[in-house]
Amino acid sequence: MRISTERFTELAAQEIEKARIRPSLKMVPHFLHEKREAVLATHPDAPAAQAYGAAIRAEALARLPELLEEFEKKATANGAKVFWARTAEEANAYIVGLAKERGAKYVIKGKSMVTEEIGLNRALADQGIEPWEADLGEFIIQQMDRTPFHIVGPAINIAVEEVRDLFLAKGYMKEPTLDPVALGWAARLFLREKFHRAEFGVTGVNMAIAETGTIINLENEGNIRFTKSSPRTQVSVMTLEKVVPTMKDALHLIRLLSRNCTGQRITAYVSMDSGPKKEDEIDGPEELIIVIVDNGRSRMYRDQRAREALRCIRCAASLNICPVYRQIGGYAYGWVYSGPMGQVLMPPLLGLDRTQDLYRASTLCGACKSVCPAGIDHPGLFLYYRSLDVSADATTHRGFKAKKRPWKEALFFRAWGMAAARPWMWKSGISLARPLMNMHSQHGVVSRMRGAFGGWFRKRDLPAMAYETFRERWEKR
Amino acid sequence: MIQNDAFPAPPARENDYNEGERVYLMADASIFIPCTVDLFLPHVGEAMVSLLRRAGADPVYRRGQTCCGQPAMNAGYRREAIKAAKHFIDLFGNDEAIVAPSGSCVCMVKHHYPELLEDEPGWCRRAAELAPRVYELSQYLVDVLGVSDVGAAFTGAVTYHESCHVLRSLGVSTQPKALISAVKGATLVPMNQGDFCCGFGGEFANHYPDISESMVQDKVQNYLESGADLLILCEPGCLLNIGGYLGRHHPGKKVMHLASFLAQNGREGR
Repeated sequence: MRISTERFTELAAQEIEKARIRPSLKMVPHFLHEKREAVLATHPDAPAAQAYGAAIRAEALARLPELLEEFEKKATANGAKVFWARTAEEANAYIVGLAKERGAKYVIKGKSMVTEEIGLNRALADQGIEPWEADLGEFIIQQMDRTPFHIVGPAINIAVEEVRDLFLAKGYMKEPTLDPVALGWAARLFLREKFHRAEFGVTGVNMAIAETGTIINLENEGNIRFTKSSPRTQVSVMTLEKVVPTMKDALHLIRLLSRNCTGQRITAYVSMDSGPKKEDEIDGPEELIIVIVDNGRSRMYRDQRAREALRCIRCAASLNICPVYRQIGGYAYGWVYSGPMGQVLMPPLLGLDRTQDLYRASTLCGACKSVCPAGIDHPGLFLYYRSLDVSADATTHRGFKAKKRPWKEALFFRAWGMAAARPWMWKSGISLARPLMNMHSQHGVVSRMRGAFGGWFRKRDLPAMAYETFRERWEKR
Repeated sequence: MIQNDAFPAPPARENDYNEGERVYLMADASIFIPCTVDLFLPHVGEAMVSLLRRAGADPVYRRGQTCCGQPAMNAGYRREAIKAAKHFIDLFGNDEAIVAPSGSCVCMVKHHYPELLEDEPGWCRRAAELAPRVYELSQYLVDVLGVSDVGAAFTGAVTYHESCHVLRSLGVSTQPKALISAVKGATLVPMNQGDFCCGFGGEFANHYPDISESMVQDKVQNYLESGADLLILCEPGCLLNIGGYLGRHHPGKKVMHLASFLAQNGREGR
């Protein structure tokens, strides 16, 4: 998986330009958000339901080690096999090895973010095993070799014309059409054949229940259920924070996830697996293997504050409401996750040094926090990462790897801090800054400035610094 | 006291002293002037002063004030933000009410000071004691002074921008709308995505100009489409951002701080 978090600003500018050409791009998250609002209101007490969801996730994280052990015990008792993978490489090597052992020529996949994160498709393809994404959106972006634009709708940005051209070029259909139903049908016909002969299926997991050893998937297309039921071998990959204590907790999260994610009361398919096919059952996979991936999360878990980001249930409500995501879409964030959920999750996973823009490119407007069903305080986490980024102990204590801030900035804030506690120094600072600020002012307006503040003046003016500040006016009165 | 046109004399309030339940009107409101207001928008500060006087308060300005510390905290410089916080607490710690024409400064003092000072119990306690006494202007006028009609008049349609910190951090939304609605002749019209961020975010606006410009463009577009003659808000940061963009691209369109709007049109209504 290529990571381009360091190119955030450049990619964001490109994406803004694309959205300018295609204004409809901005409308998709807007529609999803509006739908969420309407359906969330069907809860008798929506804020209480959200708070309950946050409490469930908080408890799950507080008891994470214990719950994971219990989950492993119960899942194993159900007949599933549990494999713990410390890194993406370990997880990939294990799954690829398994597929080879089973003699699978190809792998059919249900939509999953964690396999995007670990780059499973690439690992499989490198070993000559074709991965086939079965979710329509994932199917499209896999063929186009793109990363997900949105964690729930990975291809929501792809225009229907592009899909038509792709399907014609790949031979999935013969006659050009722009009818989405016909396009979907073409993909279904192609994938039906893949499902029919599938030996090996890989899916993600939305929730894992410690109490019962059950894994749950929510979806609308049925591809995950197909992937879990037609092949002989089912591999379900989950990151370790997916576990929740009880079935009751999971049922509440299902209600919340459906509403917050796609604005549905319930998704079209909810499938629960407690072990592989039993002897008296007529269908289902012969073996169920659950791969639990760490990939940096246990290190993140050790930090009490950053751990909060692991509460996320991937509903994408924070993406849909985020004014920054609406401007730049999902690609600029530079990895598989995007929007505020990605901005709180990716920095501790990838290191604060290469993700500075992710936690700095926020106005701290708090829209994300206001919709989060898991109670994540995104702006609070951004501030936390920023403070770790500045303080020297980030490298030594937390293991998050921070980069040094520019010396000019550090010097400025040191002086600023001294002045903020000494009114006389503060006042002199203002007197010194005024002529510099007002150097180019005309009729009380500053329209251009070189250097560090150039960004503001590209399309905006600023009032000239007052000839008399409020304080000076008050003192003169 | 020297009489100054910018600081009109407080209205008579002879009855206030005897009415038990309105005794709060005797209270002084200590005003906090955000840096942005002090340096770039001093008239907003003056408008707030005249408004508070008209509503029956007696604003006091503590000259030792500097900054609430928000720029440092937002940039990640906690240590420096803590210095500003301690100075603020020392200066305002004994005041009964502290009023500021900015939601984000109030949010800083109310919500972030106790968190910044969590490792120093003495300071943390002082911060927690201070928190409930800090008010955003419209909140203070409506919730504390019980005033929603300040006697202003304006002819035309206005719309309101729900600044992020005012709305989501402080939960203040009905108060400014009540103040606007009470203005004679003014019609409050809705604006699409009125609760969306305008793209200011302090350093964000300068550091990520592509994203920030796009956001303020959308905000201005929604304002233009609302058909209002005037955009009103309660946050100096948003005022600089939206005002700075309007000034260059739509010089005829106006944006105003609620304090200026209520104070400037005040005399017409009297």
